[in-house]
Amino acid sequence: MGYLRLLRFAMERLASALLTLLGVSILVFTAIHLIPGSYEAVMLGPQAPEAARERLREKYGLDDPLPQQYMRWLLAFLGGDMGIALCRSQQSIGQQACENADQAPIIAEFARRAPATIQLAFMSAAIANLVGIPLGILAGLSAGSRTVRGSSRAISALGMGIPSFVLGTLFVYVFSVHDLGLTVGGYVPLSEDPEANLRAMVLPAITLSVFGTALFARTTRDAVLTVLAEPFIMAAVARGETPGQIVRRHVLRNAAIPVVTVSAVNMGYLLGGAAIAELLFSVPGFGWYVLAAIHKRDYAVVQAGVLVAAVAFVGVNLLADLAYAIIDPRTIRRGRG
Amino acid sequence: MKIPFRADFLSRLAVVLLISLLLLGFVGPSLPVGDPAAIAFGPRLSPPAPGWLMGTDNLGRTMLPRVLQGIRITFVLAATPVLITSALAVVIGMLAGYLGGWFDELVARLADVLFAFPSLLLGLILVAIMGPGVRGITAAIILITLPLMVRVVRATTLTIASRDYVAASRVSGASLARLLLVHLLPNIAGAVVVQATFTISVSMLIESGLSFLGIGVQPPVASLGSLVQNGSVYLVQAPWLALAPGFFLALAIFSVNLLGDGLRDRLDPLEVHGLK
Repeated sequence: MGYLRLLRFAMERLASALLTLLGVSILVFTAIHLIPGSYEAVMLGPQAPEAARERLREKYGLDDPLPQQYMRWLLAFLGGDMGIALCRSQQSIGQQACENADQAPIIAEFARRAPATIQLAFMSAAIANLVGIPLGILAGLSAGSRTVRGSSRAISALGMGIPSFVLGTLFVYVFSVHDLGLTVGGYVPLSEDPEANLRAMVLPAITLSVFGTALFARTTRDAVLTVLAEPFIMAAVARGETPGQIVRRHVLRNAAIPVVTVSAVNMGYLLGGAAIAELLFSVPGFGWYVLAAIHKRDYAVVQAGVLVAAVAFVGVNLLADLAYAIIDPRTIRRGRG
Repeated sequence: MKIPFRADFLSRLAVVLLISLLLLGFVGPSLPVGDPAAIAFGPRLSPPAPGWLMGTDNLGRTMLPRVLQGIRITFVLAATPVLITSALAVVIGMLAGYLGGWFDELVARLADVLFAFPSLLLGLILVAIMGPGVRGITAAIILITLPLMVRVVRATTLTIASRDYVAASRVSGASLARLLLVHLLPNIAGAVVVQATFTISVSMLIESGLSFLGIGVQPPVASLGSLVQNGSVYLVQAPWLALAPGFFLALAIFSVNLLGDGLRDRLDPLEVHGLK
């Protein structure tokens, strides 16, 4: 019975996630078509003869009605064909046009760059969890003290207030001027040289993790405070459980729920924030690639990048919803929102 | 009714910091601090000195008035979209929460779709459509902050709309406008103010992030974010160029966050009336 209900809940959530993604894909497709400048004008330049434009439009079906073009794009995307980038290599942001037109399939470029971004996201999420949650538990348990209350509030306001690029710039300055063992830039893949890879990845990961750390600390603290006010804590005290038992058995288990929700929020932040950290520390990742594509008006890459990011984000939220339902079965009956 | 900020040190600190920053940003540039646009005002890339308290940039422009102007631009660019977002969210959220039905469903779905974009990417794609500049970032901030604000207004409306006095007013024939304006609006105002304060800090983060990436404000307008970006080119030779505006940006967002915390403890009806 319980499993059946869980399965039904999972199917409902999945259907709603797919519906959301469909909406996102329509929005992205429409948005890209609203951008001034047609594809053939971008490819062939302003001087091209009408016949050449005609041929190109025909080749890609650009005269077809938009819904038909959308369906074609979506089906190709689902089949793993995200189109071709205008430029092969997108190293620097400042450089506006592509040098040559040898074109690369976008999916290959994404696959080549994904490992760096995924590693960055995992490292920052790990730092945020390992630092933020214990801090939040400590702050929640010792909230009786005014000093602890005040300082935890100030620290979380600061952690959520310092923009990652300001902190990153500070790191770049300090670590370029002084030799402190960590490198600014100089990324090598993890599989080639793990030590050099970690040296290069620690700073961007810390830069990216500060917001999440503050978010986790704050959410955990609030959750612990809420749980501590529940009657079952008083009952546990009356039963003579030790403080350690109470924290382990009651507080942590109940406080886990909001923390799971916030993990999904943090993931969305990581997806966007990764681009800034990659730019600052020259990590050749997914975010930097999409950012450079925006500067070069390479809309096929932007379109694919936004959709891939949305799929990742919606996927993480779906997992969070399911984790929710498993940790706290009451969620299913109550529904959400 | 408690007087806000009666005994809370951090909230008072936040108010003092914010007032100082606003004074610096709005009054500061008219003080005799030098012409922000004058090239070769001092030597190039000079460290802070009596004539130029925050040093000079690569064109010999004095940084102090540029940073002061940046503070003003940052506050204006954060506050404008938040006012628009709040107004839109109050109308949409109250109607959705009170009327329910298909309108509510539609609003919830649209909010889900907007939520599915990581905020920076949503900002990037909007700026790609509308072109870099003030218009693009304002639109981006509104679209990024609107869904959460609508949800807050809607959720608060739902709890208030089920109160007896609302039902009493409805059965005695009050019009929809009267119900919304007289009974609901005053009761959700606290939640809106709290959420709007946090939204200002979010929009400062988005604006400065986009400006740092070079697709936010365009020269000659400079916000704190674009000043950090300009300065980061000379980071090793002249660290003050990037670090001074960065410091003020972090200080501004920090104070807004602190103020938001303080306001939430005092004003959020769900908290104050023990409904959460």
